[in-house]
Amino acid sequence: MQQALENLFADLVLGPPPSPESLAELCRKHLVGADDSAALSESLERLRVYRELVRGNLREALGLSMPRCLSRLGPLFDEYFDRFLSEQAPRTHYLRDVTPEFLAFCAPLWQSDARVAGYLHELGRHESLHIEVSALPSLPRGYVPAPLALERGVELSPALRLVRYCHAVHELPEDETSRAAPAERAVSLLVYRSPEHEVRYLELTPLAAGIVERLLFGDTLAAAVQEAASAEGSALTEAVLAGAAKLLADLAERGVVRGPR
Amino acid sequence: MVRLGGVGLGLRWDFLEEVVDGPPLPIDFFEVSPENYMRRGGYYPAQLEQLQGRYPLVTHGLTMSIGAVAEPDAAYLRELRTEIERTRSPFHSDHLCFSSAGPRSLHELLPLQQSRENLRRVAERARRMSDVLGVPFALENITYYVHPGRPELPELDFLMGVLEASDAGLLLDVNNVYVNSVNHGFDPRAFIAALDLRRVVEIHVAGHSRKPSGLLLDTHGAPVADPVLDLLAFTLEQSGPRPVLLERDNDVPDLGELVREVQSLRALYDESLQRYHAAGA
Repeated sequence: MQQALENLFADLVLGPPPSPESLAELCRKHLVGADDSAALSESLERLRVYRELVRGNLREALGLSMPRCLSRLGPLFDEYFDRFLSEQAPRTHYLRDVTPEFLAFCAPLWQSDARVAGYLHELGRHESLHIEVSALPSLPRGYVPAPLALERGVELSPALRLVRYCHAVHELPEDETSRAAPAERAVSLLVYRSPEHEVRYLELTPLAAGIVERLLFGDTLAAAVQEAASAEGSALTEAVLAGAAKLLADLAERGVVRGPR
Repeated sequence: MVRLGGVGLGLRWDFLEEVVDGPPLPIDFFEVSPENYMRRGGYYPAQLEQLQGRYPLVTHGLTMSIGAVAEPDAAYLRELRTEIERTRSPFHSDHLCFSSAGPRSLHELLPLQQSRENLRRVAERARRMSDVLGVPFALENITYYVHPGRPELPELDFLMGVLEASDAGLLLDVNNVYVNSVNHGFDPRAFIAALDLRRVVEIHVAGHSRKPSGLLLDTHGAPVADPVLDLLAFTLEQSGPRPVLLERDNDVPDLGELVREVQSLRALYDESLQRYHAAGA
């Protein structure tokens, strides 16, 4: 019986507002016994309290992590919030992980919904990265940095994300009421947590992003630079090598590059 | 092992930095929601580490969902154990409830049907939990606004049945007893007097709110109400010394106000224990 009641509760709190008829229907659907159904039907008002609590918790978590995205979605947020809850629902134990689940659910839907601005998913992702990166695990204790070597990989801080946008959503104003549209251009952004635990953002050139991406995959430093340059149609010129050295020095200063892997 | 006593405060991010950076506070221990620190790095775990050794810490979880049909998530339990070890918590507690339905995580403490089937399942899991987590395990009595279906057992029998069959401790939330007593119409003192108070490892108090319908909600968003303070005093006079914790999760005031509320609880705690010892003598 607990299984039936669990499913009933989940449908009640995640689905549309319950009415006496829909409650009776849910009880039938989940094979809740007649006695229990009768008891539940006498408590509809109080069952609605749970619906408010569950939805309030989840809405608050989403609002805290991507306020500008929600503000720009306006009433459309409610529509997609309802769909997320009823069609998928959170899977995670951690409220901070509900936003990535919501965005992953919405991504294909927003792409085909002309009412949702093309950049909004990127804005939501960008906003949510603040909490995500602030919470990423740190390197194990006792890690001792050492000089880099061309034939080895590079140990990067695990508290980072390299993201690529089609819009410069990172340049949008912080003001939640702003409706300014972002410039449409390719952006590679390194979002990382500093040693002082602050989340910081660094826009990278395509070559720099290519190097970081390959280092994240575990390539050696030499291969990462060579392949990134090749992907950008560049030879390994003096300028490319100097640029790579400057990038690595800058990232080391920011606490992103920790040493050889 | 760390021993808890006196009056503690639920540690919240709103004032974590102030506690870490400030002078020693007249707070006997802090209670931590492990889910806020598990499987993460960065600022908050680093801050929590600063508190190690300065105050005893105890963990109190939210999302074990011990009452759900599905087994508690193994990865979650492994991470929880790591967090318990890190905080050196003397025991761990979670709620006698379910908060998931299959793969769906509902992020709310939902009431279990007070049935023999549920009693057996939860007790069997709670009995194993001390080994899984590496510390004694306790269950908290929750607030419930509706009982799901017809109860086979009264709340008291269900709660005590689970505890006796599992040998788990009881985290007695006095505010929850009071809220339930108003919402479901029973005598909260009789409820507490009928509990096996030897099982109580910690007592929670918090504020609640009243909906226009008269229903009380366990909001943790206000100072502890007078009837709950009376019930706390009554409980301590029966149970003897047990660590008491003030919970405040919503409309969190500044730390100074919370410290004053803890001190006021401490005075009540001391008076209640004097009466407990006087009655014993």
